[in-house]
Amino acid sequence: MALLLLLLAAAVVLGTGLGSVRIPPAEVLGALWRGLTGAELAGNDVIVWQIRLPRVAMGVLVGATLSVCGGAFQGVFRNPLADPYLLGVASGSALGATVGLTLGWPAPLIPLLALVTALVAVAATLMLAREGRRFPPTRLILAGVVVGSVMGAATTALILRGEDRARQVLAYTLGDLSFSGWREVLTVLPYAGLGCAALLLLARALDTLQLGDLTARSLGVPVERLRLIVVVAASLATAGAVAYVGVIGFVGLIVPHVVRLAWGSAHRTLLPVSALLGGTLLVFADLLARTTPLSQVGIVTTLLGGPFFLYLLRRGRHD
Amino acid sequence: MFNPRPTLILALSGLLAGAAHAAPTRYPLTVTDDLGRKVTVKAEPMRVISVLPSNTETICALGACSKLIGVDTFSDFPAQVTKLPRVGGLYDPNIEAIIALKPDLVVVSKYGKLAEPLTRAGINVVAVNPESYDDIFTKTLLLGKILNRQTQAQQVITTVKRDVARVEVLTRNVKSKPLTYFEIDPNPYSIGPNSFMGVLLTKAGARNVIPAALGDFPKVDPELIVKSNPALILGVDLRTVQGRPGWKAIQAVKTGRVVEIPMDLNTVLGRPGPRIGQALLGLAKIVHPELFK
Repeated sequence: MALLLLLLAAAVVLGTGLGSVRIPPAEVLGALWRGLTGAELAGNDVIVWQIRLPRVAMGVLVGATLSVCGGAFQGVFRNPLADPYLLGVASGSALGATVGLTLGWPAPLIPLLALVTALVAVAATLMLAREGRRFPPTRLILAGVVVGSVMGAATTALILRGEDRARQVLAYTLGDLSFSGWREVLTVLPYAGLGCAALLLLARALDTLQLGDLTARSLGVPVERLRLIVVVAASLATAGAVAYVGVIGFVGLIVPHVVRLAWGSAHRTLLPVSALLGGTLLVFADLLARTTPLSQVGIVTTLLGGPFFLYLLRRGRHD
Repeated sequence: MFNPRPTLILALSGLLAGAAHAAPTRYPLTVTDDLGRKVTVKAEPMRVISVLPSNTETICALGACSKLIGVDTFSDFPAQVTKLPRVGGLYDPNIEAIIALKPDLVVVSKYGKLAEPLTRAGINVVAVNPESYDDIFTKTLLLGKILNRQTQAQQVITTVKRDVARVEVLTRNVKSKPLTYFEIDPNPYSIGPNSFMGVLLTKAGARNVIPAALGDFPKVDPELIVKSNPALILGVDLRTVQGRPGWKAIQAVKTGRVVEIPMDLNTVLGRPGPRIGQALLGLAKIVHPELFK
């Protein structure tokens, strides 16, 4: 745990100190001091205080959010392949962004539209999956796949109609922290904060749910309501993140598994530790994206995350 | 102060124009296209389809517009091509429509997947993609050779080079060349100095903030732009740029030298074809309005 906090601190320090522009450590510290005291920002101060630091903050925020949501989804669906995008949040968000981009909407409005369509996608999934007052996991997953596919197809059709926008949409869907400023961080914070807080509070109930629906019910856990709350909380948090930084793959799927391999699978540790590790990983991945030709954080997470995870799986086999 | 250079350039280009007189193409002709395929053209093509706007413009500039029997969705210049049957775009080509038009040659892009199915259908396909600045001239010569318009190809090149020279004469000795960031896509992507658009930007009398090492169409880290502090920003509107974290500190944003590229200029800038002289002129007027008063 202490090690994780150290790692996160290291990520923040390196993420703020390094970048495509070389800034000596003393100057970085000076910039932070001037930023904190509200003094006049000069030269490289702007880069450190208005570009790098919020970018790092967004990395921590989004990485933590995706990991917590991924862990909660894996728990609530009892499915190791669940990730935060399971219910169509990503494709809903991409569709909104694409519509905004093809209509030539002003840049600040695009994330808002993406946020709305992401939530619409989740609502559609929930409606399709409903059986009376129940939300069976399998139906939820299938409904999510269908909603995701339909929205994905609509997005592709739109992209093909306006080919010059294709790269913008592609880049958006790949996930990028490039233009994350303080305003964006503060916009995502309430969604991510509220959603993740709710999930962390539900950790104990999620543990009980691992014994199976029947056992959980007999222990007094309102299974259906729990599932609905987890889905809504996680989707809200993810939708906020996705709308502003796009679809960053792999983090939400992999981080909880890494934590399970190392710290066991009780949600009371799993969720907070996932948040720490996820935030750390995403900041490092973004640092690589900024300083190498890999260019976008979504590409880095997938390219490096995949092999690393396979290595962990092979090492973790004690059977 | 008399500057002999402009007159010399114009005189030289006049000489070149007079000297252009090439032999007719001898068929069958075999060329290597931009997909690295060996293409044999049996006789002078009479029914040609072009699926790339820049190639359409070049073919028409060669005086072979009458050979065209179909074009892609985006070909819109010269005006007469807009009356031709449309055969779809790069990513959604209508192969059946192409085959139904019975072309004896289809000029495709090396991107997209048209070459193979058309070749299988027994249709002769050549992939031509001008990408660098010099490509514009070599591909014009290549198309001229294929279509038996070699003399015209020489003339087109002369005309284009003259148009470019007329702008360069003005911009070359200009006192201050503003450091410029040209955004082609808000993610943000920009243009490197060796790309065809980058060459035009330099010729327009600007200094590009993007180092050549980053490649032709790099995705740039915003902090790099803030650091280099350009005096001019192109391809994006002032409001968008003001909304980006840290960009208010950039000189161009402070002075309001942030210029969106008008739609029609953007079109010619994105087409490595016979209208780059015009594209350069339009760009130079934005970079150095004082030269064109």
